[in-house]
Amino acid sequence: MMEEKKTTKRLKANTALRQIITDFYADAHRAKAEGRPVGWIPPMNGLIELFYAMDIHPIFPENWAPICAAIGTNTNNFAYAQRRGYSGDLCGYFRNNIGYALDGIAEENQPLDGLPKPDFLISFGAGCIPTMKTFQVLCDHFRVPVFRADLPQVAMEDIGEHHIQYGVTQIKRIIKFLEGITGKRLDIDRLRQAVAYTDEACRFWDEIMDARRTIPSPFSAAEIGIMFVMVTRHGTKIAVDFLRDVLEEVRGKVARGEGVIPNERIRLFWDNIPLWYNMKLFNYFEKWDAVVVAETYTSAWTMRMDKDKPLESIAYKSLVSYPLVSCVSLDKRIELIRKAVVDYKIDGAIFHSNRSCKPISMGQMDIMKMLSEELFVPGVMFDGDHMDGGSFSEAQFHTRIDAFMEMLSERKRI
Amino acid sequence: MNFRELNKCRLDIVKEQKKKNNCTVIGTLCSYVPVEILHSFGIIPVRIWGQSENLHKADALLQPFICPPVRHLMALGLEGHYNFLDGIVHCYTCDATCGLFNIWVRNLKPGFSHLISLPYMAINEALTYTMAEFGNFIEKLETFTKKKFSPDNLKRSIALYNEARSLMKEVYCLRKSGLLVSYSGISAMNICSQTLPVEMFLPELRKYVEKMKEDERGISGKLKILISGSVISDTSLMAFIEGAGGDIVADDACTGLRVLRDVIPEGDPLQSLAGYYLTRPPCASRADFPSRKAYFLETLKDFDIDAVIFIHQKFCDPHLSDHPFMKKVLDEAGIPNMQLEVEGDELTGQVQTRIESFFEMLERL
Repeated sequence: MMEEKKTTKRLKANTALRQIITDFYADAHRAKAEGRPVGWIPPMNGLIELFYAMDIHPIFPENWAPICAAIGTNTNNFAYAQRRGYSGDLCGYFRNNIGYALDGIAEENQPLDGLPKPDFLISFGAGCIPTMKTFQVLCDHFRVPVFRADLPQVAMEDIGEHHIQYGVTQIKRIIKFLEGITGKRLDIDRLRQAVAYTDEACRFWDEIMDARRTIPSPFSAAEIGIMFVMVTRHGTKIAVDFLRDVLEEVRGKVARGEGVIPNERIRLFWDNIPLWYNMKLFNYFEKWDAVVVAETYTSAWTMRMDKDKPLESIAYKSLVSYPLVSCVSLDKRIELIRKAVVDYKIDGAIFHSNRSCKPISMGQMDIMKMLSEELFVPGVMFDGDHMDGGSFSEAQFHTRIDAFMEMLSERKRI
Repeated sequence: MNFRELNKCRLDIVKEQKKKNNCTVIGTLCSYVPVEILHSFGIIPVRIWGQSENLHKADALLQPFICPPVRHLMALGLEGHYNFLDGIVHCYTCDATCGLFNIWVRNLKPGFSHLISLPYMAINEALTYTMAEFGNFIEKLETFTKKKFSPDNLKRSIALYNEARSLMKEVYCLRKSGLLVSYSGISAMNICSQTLPVEMFLPELRKYVEKMKEDERGISGKLKILISGSVISDTSLMAFIEGAGGDIVADDACTGLRVLRDVIPEGDPLQSLAGYYLTRPPCASRADFPSRKAYFLETLKDFDIDAVIFIHQKFCDPHLSDHPFMKKVLDEAGIPNMQLEVEGDELTGQVQTRIESFFEMLERL
């Protein structure tokens, strides 16, 4: 059953990616076995550079969740969360991660050997409410040292000096905590190197994404798994080397005029998180010669880091990663999507109205209206959930998408 | 007029004040907005509050899995109930209200809009940060109102709100000491405190407190109940709980006790104000578990609570994700508790049955 939901991937880089995923979790278990600290942290912030610069292995529960969805253990984890009293209306990442951390972690024979338990936790007042609450539950459950960090939610366009400075004071507090955990002083040159790696990874990332402006597009949203390195391997050469190879492969395709499908006719934009348990949906559009060439989610790493200002850079990264894709500023999100739709020559937009993600889903009606009225790009919305297949009807998805694609096909013919 | 009556005509009162005094009125979406700053500019701050009879109007802009209070406010906005507002201010608390703020601004196009981003911890650097954040807000208000910020005006505004909060706290203390009044009156007072001009609210409040002091005291024999949730405004639900055998003496909600624990101290007004908003007992959107647990236990002890009723709005992420933890805290403390999940103000038969069963269970304990 799960096999049928798997997406058809066409980039050769996927072979290397599979190894990177396996290695990431194997490294975590090795670190644990060797007595090196393993810290569980929220995703998409500057902690990762600090961790790698201090030989600490990071674990991101939020990154583990899509893996659970892909392999099908999410439903078990949801059941565990429900037994603990957590409402089924809460975000699927939250329910999966709580269910897994509190109960599922004890199961035997887990894929990738599961997650090593944390030696410490960093709990943020930042990101979305479910992310914040996930870590509060974990802090209550695991009897390990906890660092409570703080970062306000600021609209990207409003970020000013006092926001950055506050971020820097937080980073300094965290460094002190991590020095206590590891018993070692932070080597600032190693942190600069980690920041430089992230900057290079972000640059390659932007170039890879830019290559998708080409008609035909060299790859589609079906290959979105490559962002694994942007979440888990920022601050390392692993991400840089992998993305360099991806860029080379993608540029080769562009040079040869090799698209995802032989006759790309329709170019699509995807808003919101993919349905991790059903990535095959991205291939569904191909029967109309359509390709998803841009997404909201992949813009979360469009940023630059300055190795000469490492603390300011990671403070900035921590401040912008979440607002880049959420509803902290609808204006900013609209601006980004408007630009993407023009730059990627989008014919139509697919909006995943995602029960598991209110921050990204709120404002979708406004975005759809803007695309239609200002850019004359039509959109379609379907109900789904990025983690819970129980809140998604594939038949309804087909009905809605079929009608939309027929309309787009007609438009393209005229 | 008592607070229940004032509550019913609160929008008309504000509109009349606006017309009479030719003043600016700004809507707020959360109790974390520093209303004292708005007031110091001569602005009337009004908490956007209420239930729409045409909830479906929100469907065009908000998905059905967004919490009912947010959908109701959007529908009220679209229906024109808040057309008299000159602007809107929000302080980031939960994701849903932040989304609402953005969608409101885009669709209803208020003349002024601002989002305040408060830190989550009360460390020294957070105080400096918050003052800078309030400073940005003040600068924007100066441009909008074409008035200069006055620390003395702010001091005067703080004094008014301090008096209001102190008197409101006294109401809770009187209730605690055995005053036999219904909680729905106190709830109406809480709502009026955030939706009416403070100059109009205060005289009514002074009268209310004086009258309360003369009212009958006694032992009701009922169980002392604390209600907890986000937006709790359903008076029929409150009355039903009281009819079923409970005395609601304390709350843990968006309006009520949490805003009243402290007064803003004297000194540099902006610094004092920043300190107040940072150290207030936190709501579920801003708290970590230890601080929420500490405040909860303190309130339970202070009010000698017999049982807790959680009134949670459907799809409310902060409260629903806190609930198993809070339940554990109460179970460990031996305090009976129950959770009601509601959709806006709606006292359904199912909710009634659950409340009755809860009190029957309590009687057997």
